[in-house]
Amino acid sequence: MKIIVTLKQVVDPLTPVSALKVDGARRKILGPPDTPPVINGYDEQALEAALRIKEEWRDGECQVIALSAGTGFDLDVMKRAFAAGADELVLIEDTALDTWDVSFIVRTLAAAIKQLGGADLVLCGRQASDWDNAQAPLMLAELLGLPCLTLARRVEVKGQHVQVERVLSDGIQVMEANLPAVVTVTSELGELRYPPMRARLQAAKRRPRTMTLKELGVTATPPAAVEMLDLSLLQIERDCQFVKGASEAEAGRMLAELLIGGGFIKPQQA
Amino acid sequence: MSGILIFAETDDGTILPNFWEQVSAARQVADPLGGGLRVAVQGSQIKDASDALKSGAEQVYVTNDARLGEPWSEAHLETFTALCRELQPELIILPRTLLGMEIAARLAQRLDAGLAQDVMTMQLAEGKLTVTRPVFGGAASATLRLTRPPWIIVPRTGAFAPAEPLSTPKGELVARQANLVDDALKTRRISRTRQTSKINLERARVIISGGRGLGGPEPFQLLHEIAERMGAVVGASRPPCDSGWVDSGMQVGLTGKTVSPEVYIAVGISGATQHMTGCSSSRVIVAINQDPDAPIFRMATYGVVGDWKQVLPGFCEALA
Repeated sequence: MKIIVTLKQVVDPLTPVSALKVDGARRKILGPPDTPPVINGYDEQALEAALRIKEEWRDGECQVIALSAGTGFDLDVMKRAFAAGADELVLIEDTALDTWDVSFIVRTLAAAIKQLGGADLVLCGRQASDWDNAQAPLMLAELLGLPCLTLARRVEVKGQHVQVERVLSDGIQVMEANLPAVVTVTSELGELRYPPMRARLQAAKRRPRTMTLKELGVTATPPAAVEMLDLSLLQIERDCQFVKGASEAEAGRMLAELLIGGGFIKPQQA
Repeated sequence: MSGILIFAETDDGTILPNFWEQVSAARQVADPLGGGLRVAVQGSQIKDASDALKSGAEQVYVTNDARLGEPWSEAHLETFTALCRELQPELIILPRTLLGMEIAARLAQRLDAGLAQDVMTMQLAEGKLTVTRPVFGGAASATLRLTRPPWIIVPRTGAFAPAEPLSTPKGELVARQANLVDDALKTRRISRTRQTSKINLERARVIISGGRGLGGPEPFQLLHEIAERMGAVVGASRPPCDSGWVDSGMQVGLTGKTVSPEVYIAVGISGATQHMTGCSSSRVIVAINQDPDAPIFRMATYGVVGDWKQVLPGFCEALA
């Protein structure tokens, strides 16, 4: 059993909006310099799904490979994959990968997966917290010609199939796909395990395997189908009108009256 | 390649309300684009396909198949791809639902199309489609250019006002077969359980949401009481859901639902990207928070800096 988990390094989504900056030239959003990036939350959960499957197998029978394509990797952050239990971490680092062109990223990931000899199961996060496209895993499945099941809160390998519980907006759907397959994972699956100190120390000593775009034979082929023309922060989008009263309760009452007066809310007839 | 094709999603045989927002988006570019409007309705035991004609579509293609009665993406994708290849539309518009977003991404790969999700505005000039969309939880806006057709767009819920149905539609209904071969499908449905919950956050006009600042499950009772007094629906940010204070179906944000009500009242919510992704396109955001520096106030139209324990009872009283 070979599982490849795709990871994306992103600006921490818990960063307050006021601390974000735009690098206009690179059309990129930057977090504060003293705050490290994180692995996209859903991708961490995809890694957790892989590690849970690995526990079902005997030692050495299931391999979990973490794979990431991007630029400016923070190795301490990415090595969390090792600490949590990934057998290998593969990084493709190139400034060209700092792009809105999802198709280029997906072609890179597909080429890397082929280079790694393919996988029985590819696990991805359902979407990334920065661009929020929810596109790459689905396009990857198409490119690899694999079935794709999305939004899994539980992933179980049963012989030649994978069975997942999908979280829909109004309930749960259980679905099955033939292996090999691509499965995307949602937050309900649970957080990535926190590795013990020993594992973290060992992880610090390990080195990721690196691949280059050249090795993979992937090049960006402009013009991309979608180009980003502009990126701007909307920080002062609204001028907040603060309601103040003699007491906080009074402020609450005045707020309600303001909203009723403006026709925004209507008290219901009892 | 010509014209616009809308994918109309159904639930229980009824077209989703998103459809009229998709029509509104289509009408914005229909004239310069030319080539007319067509609609694909896919589902099982579809009841209101003729309503789709009121969009002004020349043809409404109706595919009735038991396998299309569920959000089974492979079945829907194969059916819709076949229609797209036949009709060769220049612009395809899908709804921003789990199914719509998924079909959009896979179709983009199949048709080598440019795709923009979560579109707020769009403009057609010199054969290129330029759109804006929020990123980073609405903290930023990206302007994207879709360089060559076919284009696929997924409008943000609430960004386009629902279009007015025409009173005398002229188009025709065209029945189609799904042509799905069970053995050729790579995914299978095993079972589905649906919650029959009355609350519908996505369609609520007024939402009052609680966050970590509420400190526990009990204060949500007060939120429910206030909601009842003004006909609102109660939502939550991620921490109350993760802590089990409230049902995770109430979650608004990146990991929950995207909402765009007229009024969004955030109580004890700091306003991290994670949450704002789900509510930043609300018409009016009202924030009640103890911390005057909370980022939520940057997105809010009205705010009260104070302890919800004091502010909410006053608010509730004024609704009596």
